[in-house]
Amino acid sequence: MEWSDAAGVDEVPEGEVRGVKVGDDLVALYRIDGKVYATSNVCTHEYALLSGGWIENGEIECPLHGTRFRIEDGRCLGPYGTNLRCFRSRVRDGRIEVALSSEDGA
Amino acid sequence: MFLQDYWYAAAWSNEIGREPFARIICNEPMVFYRTQAGAVVAMEDRCCHRRLPLRMGRIVGDKIQCHYHGLTFEPGGRCVKVPGQDLVPPSARVRTFVVKEKYALVWVFLGNAALADEANIPDYHWITDPGWGARGTHFNVKAQYLLIVENLLDLTHLAFVHATTIGNAAVVESANVQFKRGPATVDITRIMKNCAPPPTYVKAGGFTGNIDRWQYINFAPPGFVRLETGGCDAGREGDAAAKKITLRNLNIITPETDATTHYFWAQCHDFDVRNQKLTDMLFEDVKAAFLQDVDVFEAQQESISRQPNAPEVDLNGDAGGLQARRILRRLLEQQTAAGR
Repeated sequence: MEWSDAAGVDEVPEGEVRGVKVGDDLVALYRIDGKVYATSNVCTHEYALLSGGWIENGEIECPLHGTRFRIEDGRCLGPYGTNLRCFRSRVRDGRIEVALSSEDGA
Repeated sequence: MFLQDYWYAAAWSNEIGREPFARIICNEPMVFYRTQAGAVVAMEDRCCHRRLPLRMGRIVGDKIQCHYHGLTFEPGGRCVKVPGQDLVPPSARVRTFVVKEKYALVWVFLGNAALADEANIPDYHWITDPGWGARGTHFNVKAQYLLIVENLLDLTHLAFVHATTIGNAAVVESANVQFKRGPATVDITRIMKNCAPPPTYVKAGGFTGNIDRWQYINFAPPGFVRLETGGCDAGREGDAAAKKITLRNLNIITPETDATTHYFWAQCHDFDVRNQKLTDMLFEDVKAAFLQDVDVFEAQQESISRQPNAPEVDLNGDAGGLQARRILRRLLEQQTAAGR
């Protein structure tokens, strides 16, 4: 598995989401209850950046039309769009790394 | 349909004197005048007899007299005199509105007067605070108020509409934008690090190199949008020796009709506050920019009125505007459900 550097851990505060570019991929990084998650940052409905949205109950809500995705597996909870790509992530020496090749989600 | 139990700015204080002054606020025609003691009266601009607008009448002492048959109304709206007859019909009265003067503006409460709590007028103290330089004005815009709210919540248009005034490409390209939402508020934070200062900032702040810019935007219903913008020498936030300027752009957006708006706004600055030339320069620069916006609003409104059902696409920058529309829609639904 190939790991790519995405961001410093301290750039993603607890309970928040940050958008980063890893290579050509737009990735959303989350930290929830201390654990880091990574999904595509692009809403499957109208391609809005999810990093502008809101986290509630382990779900990210798209800032435009309110579609919600479960962060841990990318499942689309509606009302629009389809499931979201998820990536494996890990923390090494204070850096968040993601594995873009290994799609993880549903 | 507009939100009823809210304060709306109807005029700048200095617009109202001892002559009738008429304005439509949220589809309600109102006439304003001052009593001899200086209190502002706001009443329906329609005589209860044959509906002539009272603005055509004249002020007699503390009362207003209709131009048609001379019915005379006291500040509480009751008709106290019908020339040519001894008795005044008990239903001869016009509606009045609760009025409060604050922050150099005349505010009217549209709905149930019992709910008119002055504490619900949002904070605009920068307009009258001696610690700030400030100048404001009023635009009568031929466009629905939501277009103005939406415009202020999405500053990515600066680089295009205002390329010659307050915008540049950095606003669109390098901004880190955060949206926060409360039960009935939207807060947007845009931080732009190490970008070229726009022409206005160079003139006002004397910046010579790149700057860090910030824009904090707060929306509260129905049409209150308060912006704090500023800049400091790049990478030197918190450094007392660095150049830094803070500006407040305050918007009080009152629907006039479904497709027109009374747009009150003021530009305030926290540096060199007694320098009227500076106050005027900042005001004129923003005014030039806002007139560019008005051209956009009115053209949008024409387009909307011509084809109201045409579809729209939403972009990332619309998050704040969409949240504001959602809040307003929910509050209106609640109002309808309550039978108002």
